[in-house]
Amino acid sequence: MAGICCGVVGETEPAAPVDSTSRASLRRRLDLLPSIKIVADSAVAPPLENCRKRQKRETVVLSTLPGNLDLDSNVRSENKKARSAVTNSNSVTEAESFFSDVPKIGTTSVCGRRRDMEDAVSIHPSFLQRNSENHHFYGVFDGHGCSHVAEKCRERLHDIVKKEVEVMASDEWTETMVKSFQKMDKEVSQRECNLVVNGATRSMKNSCRCELQSPQCDAVGSTAVVSVVTPEKIIVSNCGDSRAVLCRNGVAIPLSVDHKPDRPDELIRIQQAGGRVIYWDGARVLGVLAMSRAIGDNYLKPYVIPDPEVTVTDRTDEDECLILASDGLWDVVPNETACGVARMCLRGAGAGDDSDAAHNACSDAALLLTKLALARQSSDNVSVVVVDLRKRRNNQASS
Amino acid sequence: MESSKQKRCRSSVVETIEAPLPLVWSILRSFDKPQAYQRFVKSCTMRSGGGGGKGGEGKGSVRDVTLVSGFPADFSTERLEELDDESHVMVVSIIGGNHRLVNYKSKTKVVASPEDMAKKTVVVESYVVDVPEGTSEEDTIFFVDNIIRYNLTSLAKLTKKMMK
Repeated sequence: MAGICCGVVGETEPAAPVDSTSRASLRRRLDLLPSIKIVADSAVAPPLENCRKRQKRETVVLSTLPGNLDLDSNVRSENKKARSAVTNSNSVTEAESFFSDVPKIGTTSVCGRRRDMEDAVSIHPSFLQRNSENHHFYGVFDGHGCSHVAEKCRERLHDIVKKEVEVMASDEWTETMVKSFQKMDKEVSQRECNLVVNGATRSMKNSCRCELQSPQCDAVGSTAVVSVVTPEKIIVSNCGDSRAVLCRNGVAIPLSVDHKPDRPDELIRIQQAGGRVIYWDGARVLGVLAMSRAIGDNYLKPYVIPDPEVTVTDRTDEDECLILASDGLWDVVPNETACGVARMCLRGAGAGDDSDAAHNACSDAALLLTKLALARQSSDNVSVVVVDLRKRRNNQASS
Repeated sequence: MESSKQKRCRSSVVETIEAPLPLVWSILRSFDKPQAYQRFVKSCTMRSGGGGGKGGEGKGSVRDVTLVSGFPADFSTERLEELDDESHVMVVSIIGGNHRLVNYKSKTKVVASPEDMAKKTVVVESYVVDVPEGTSEEDTIFFVDNIIRYNLTSLAKLTKKMMK
């Protein structure tokens, strides 16, 4: 980490140009800071101060995914398979082989200043083969009320999506993802807080307190920002206020739009459903929930719905990386800044010649972004996934 | 003096519950266990037991309530002003917290429903509270009524489950 920081500080890179057409740009609350300043903030890691009286100070608990070790070995294994396939197959063209590798990724999830960890991250490279193409699944889920809805999304959503995509006609991604999210929502609703049903084994590692106090079950929900990456496309499905941002040639392109209750079209939808948005520590549905869409939260239906907004983006040679993160990051770090940080880390690893270096660069980017969020007094859990979208050369050295 | 400048508002929420009065009252009156039926309460610890009575039951008892994440507040400090097991009346004041509810005082009264004295209970929760700065009286009442209604709906579900 120190090495990366030292290397980056030496660079004199101009700030990433602002995309004036980006809605996120118009909404950003912080000025774009010089990249060196950003790194300095993170490198120094100033002591976390409890500026906000409403938040209790908690020790920052940094935790990578419990399955991270498996994830590493899976990625390595998939790389070997991919290279083997390329080597043995005469039908694969050079262009296609560029995209056949599993993308390198980095991810971090930290509790931050919140009392509990309610975020969850789901990484499933090569979770689906379709039309001879490898599909990869990445998801970030920011729970509220309790953690079990986000945990359930982490466990199940990729499998639900896989089953829906397998029966998908042509490329109807929007319909398929909406159906998947609705099934996920139904699934979390039907299971009474993971209580044992018909002798079925409890899937949760640790029982959450909702089992003991069922009235709270209805008030639990989660955001879900999900990306399915194929050799040619990036499909993003978003429900809630987590976010996906594409870094393309230094420019931050939002692939999702936050579902805030005071977003004009969401406000109209809620009112037409008979609901109401009240400003109580921010805009909230019925004065209670600060987002207009979520998985779960049965008590707020039909005002809070689980339907995602879906974007399908063609991949290009200029794509650098994709960042999926919870609002613990985006509330304090603008899209452009996050893009700049990730770009610096990836550049430090070169053009992806070395697969291990690229993987480390993504991990460094995710970690650096997380530290930046904490340094900027984020008051929430922070979860970040960085996906390397750059093309990889055929002559990639064996690791 | 300062509070006299603040605009106040008041409202009442009425809920009929399909359960006998003794059962409903036994849950409502447990000042130390609001999480049993209050939807947004995560946990509760007693700060002081007050004079007389058992823990959590004496007049003047104070509880520290931790609220669930996602809710527009993290904690609330509440005092039991009155608890009458004969007239089934409970009065609670909120004396602290980051929910913007200042000078909040609620009175909950439980009576057997005239419809079916043995099986139905009517819960009436009335309150007064300052209207927070920047918020309308209408929105304040809507917000608080909403929370109380959710709590009483949870209470109805809980008692229904307990009677099975």
